[in-house]
Amino acid sequence: MSAGLNGSVEPKVVGVINTKAGNLFSLYACLKRIGYTTVQINQPSDLEVNQVDALVIPGQGRFGQVMKQLSATGLDAEIIDWVKQDKPLLGICVGLQVLFNQSEEDPGIPGLGIFQGKVERLNSPKQPMVGWSKLSSGMSDLNEKIVYFVNSYGIKESKVTAATVTYGEQFVAAINQGNIWAFQFHPEKSGDTGEEVIKQCLSS
Amino acid sequence: MSEQLEQVNNGLIPRVIVCLDVANGRVVKGVNFKGLTDMGDPVELALRYQEQGADEIVFLDIKATLENRANALDTVRRVAQNLSIPFTVGGGLNSYADVEQFLNAGADKVALNSAAVKTPTLINEIAEGFGSQCVVVAIDVNKDETDDYAVYVSGGHVRTEVNAFDWFREVEKRGAGEILLTAMHRDGTGIGFDNELMSRVAKERNIQVIASGGASNEQHFVDTFMAGSDAALAAGMFHRGEYSVQDVKKALKQQQILTR
Repeated sequence: MSAGLNGSVEPKVVGVINTKAGNLFSLYACLKRIGYTTVQINQPSDLEVNQVDALVIPGQGRFGQVMKQLSATGLDAEIIDWVKQDKPLLGICVGLQVLFNQSEEDPGIPGLGIFQGKVERLNSPKQPMVGWSKLSSGMSDLNEKIVYFVNSYGIKESKVTAATVTYGEQFVAAINQGNIWAFQFHPEKSGDTGEEVIKQCLSS
Repeated sequence: MSEQLEQVNNGLIPRVIVCLDVANGRVVKGVNFKGLTDMGDPVELALRYQEQGADEIVFLDIKATLENRANALDTVRRVAQNLSIPFTVGGGLNSYADVEQFLNAGADKVALNSAAVKTPTLINEIAEGFGSQCVVVAIDVNKDETDDYAVYVSGGHVRTEVNAFDWFREVEKRGAGEILLTAMHRDGTGIGFDNELMSRVAKERNIQVIASGGASNEQHFVDTFMAGSDAALAAGMFHRGEYSVQDVKKALKQQQILTR
């Protein structure tokens, strides 16, 4: 993850988008263990008031639920703007999925459309996919790392793929473009490996 | 690589799970659900097993009472704050509100047992409200005189008329994400998991099966994974210090079973 290692100061304030779609205890606990100050982002003004350095779209809830909340609060436009400025962003699980155009989980609701692609139901041997699996990546910081997945849906192909995983079929486990990182797995539940990954992504 | 081994290594790593049976805020261990011995502090033990490489921690409040609820929630919170691996909590969860309380206290998944047998629609409600991925249905079975498997509830004290194989199918249909299957007739015996049962359920069902009951050494994990269990859980062999999670992982590696 060389983009993450190129120098600049580690952000002190990490904003976690409040998607009102589930429990974020693990994520906050993880960010605090790493040493970040965390701020819950309920509305666009929270970003500036708190001088947020890096933004996280958490991995709880369904696609439609998360997108509805982002549009209702106007945070959808803020995230798109954030990405345009190439500020550090971390999407987790459904937080990766909403960066794309649409999802089979909630077909009528458009995603943020930052990246091109459609979230599809995965053909996992057992559903939902719950467990640890090994990444394949051209990046040594991700390749062969074993991380924790919880999902039924995913992106099968993307131009910004940084790592893939295979469970029944291959799908996208990580994407990266500049300072934008997103993971289909849950780094906050992936032990030391996960914490290391978060640190490197958010420090870019 | 043998076909069997390829099956085992089909993409998900077979999980080694350590179970903390908790009573009155302390980890305990009993034989056949009876005769409890103090094994230590839940937070300390959970962290020790995480350090050793456990893939998941299961916390079962085996003496869950309403009066004790605040205490249990506090313990769960303290464990969850420190854990960076998946954390499942069960014991005395009877309603949607109970589940919500424990998820808010930091549990990633909940294990439903007696309540699911009593009110099967609870499985649907929780799966719809929080997602199948956080619903583990814990099922205690005992092999009876006629070699049939009977489902027990209330911490293994009460035999039900529920047909075990019908129940496995039904919990999947209702939206359970995993089955935690305890063979009571093996629990505390140390002779290994009931792999005939685990293998059958793991093959028949389209959700993951966690084998429980009977493990006393690392080979028992190798055996149950080779038989098809998606995960396996033990308590006493780890708490007593006879084996560490590393010992189990080492044995799995030697047999070319994927580990992390």
